[in-house]
Amino acid sequence: MELVPHHRLQVVADVGALRMDVALAFAAPWTVIFGPSGSGKSSLLRAMCGLLPGAQVSFERRDADEWTAVEELRTAQRKLGYAPQQAALFPHLNVRKNVGFATAQRPKGRAAWKRAEAVVEGALELFALGDLEDRMPRELSGGESQRVNLARAFVVPGARLMLLDEPFSGVDRKQRDAMLPKMKSWLAELDLPVISVTHDVDEALLLGAEVVRLELGQVVAQGPAAEVLAEERVRMLANLG
Amino acid sequence: MDFPALGLTLRLASVTTLVLLVVATPLAAWISSGRGWGRRVMQAVVALPLVLPPSVLGFYLLLGLSPRTAIGRMLIAVVGHSLAFTFWGLVVGSVIFSLPFAVQPLVAGFSGVDRGLVETASVLGAGWWVVFARVIAPLARMSFVTAAVLTFAHTVGEFGVVLMVGGDIPGVTRTLSISIFDQVQEANYAGANRAAIWLVLLSFMALLAVYARGRGQGLGVRD
Repeated sequence: MELVPHHRLQVVADVGALRMDVALAFAAPWTVIFGPSGSGKSSLLRAMCGLLPGAQVSFERRDADEWTAVEELRTAQRKLGYAPQQAALFPHLNVRKNVGFATAQRPKGRAAWKRAEAVVEGALELFALGDLEDRMPRELSGGESQRVNLARAFVVPGARLMLLDEPFSGVDRKQRDAMLPKMKSWLAELDLPVISVTHDVDEALLLGAEVVRLELGQVVAQGPAAEVLAEERVRMLANLG
Repeated sequence: MDFPALGLTLRLASVTTLVLLVVATPLAAWISSGRGWGRRVMQAVVALPLVLPPSVLGFYLLLGLSPRTAIGRMLIAVVGHSLAFTFWGLVVGSVIFSLPFAVQPLVAGFSGVDRGLVETASVLGAGWWVVFARVIAPLARMSFVTAAVLTFAHTVGEFGVVLMVGGDIPGVTRTLSISIFDQVQEANYAGANRAAIWLVLLSFMALLAVYARGRGQGLGVRD
């Protein structure tokens, strides 16, 4: 069955020496943008966030049967959960406050505040951060920082899309494999689609129902992970031979 | 020792510092939040007191506050008199004269906050004000200390603007630096020396406060 896209994206931009020209429709609950370093993966996510100056961007979100032009909204109003590649934790806030950053912005009454606290609590548990909640970012390892980065993206109230840039960099495989089913069920419960970026074939296979393969700023393949990455494997084998 | 002049100087510096933190914070936030000609022109205007002779600034302020101008007439209508030769006239002059000493450390502090943090905060739903209040201002907190101390110290040492706008009215507009000048004119070097030592001490304490808080970073504005 053909899925109806939840977001559509067109980006034409010059990123450094790279000419990016991409048109994509995202329909799968989890789409992986896969490609080597310098292929423009992170720039695509930044374009969706409104953080790519000088780019021509058309980015639409399906609301019921209407398409909303997200590119016309200010960055803060785009309803995105976002975990950037560099963890970018707020150095003056402890782990709990970092995770709860998005929820603490508009506390409307005691009940809303309690609900927000419960969401933060859930995210701390999901990413195994309970014991670290009072630590400051400078006291965290790379993997721990990355988990805080992910948890912070997961609690954005009213988010409509999750953007995860190399979400498991620095996180060990065992921990990743333990977190992933819980992450998926959290997202499924909220009916929240994900677009993540990786250069790791294993990660793409593990995650992706749908894979977009990006090379030098162009989409060279899009489809089910097994299909797109099978071609990739064949090509790798041919190169080896 | 001219204690009324010392008291007046400290009061003027305190009021000027408070007013300038309120005025300079939004101005610096705006200047550091982007590019464009408007911001460049504003930066140049803010920096003018650094290069203009204080007497020029004082002269134009005196003209601007006179009953011949719309501002002067409005002030007379509202407060009953022109601000020239009053304490509040000194405050206006000091605020303008010390503007760069408050704005520039704040601009440097706000601009020094990692862009990645600002961008991430806004993607996570924080509007401009929330990003400023919860990310930029706390991370640039040392620049508030620097701005306050420099403004205070600079106001304590003011001479030209204060003399032009305030005249030299004992107890009303005669600050310590003017008092020193007067005493030297009267060949009262011992009195001038006592007052001058106060200025040296105040300035030294102010700078020490910055260096101590900055943990050896001096007047650096990043935390």
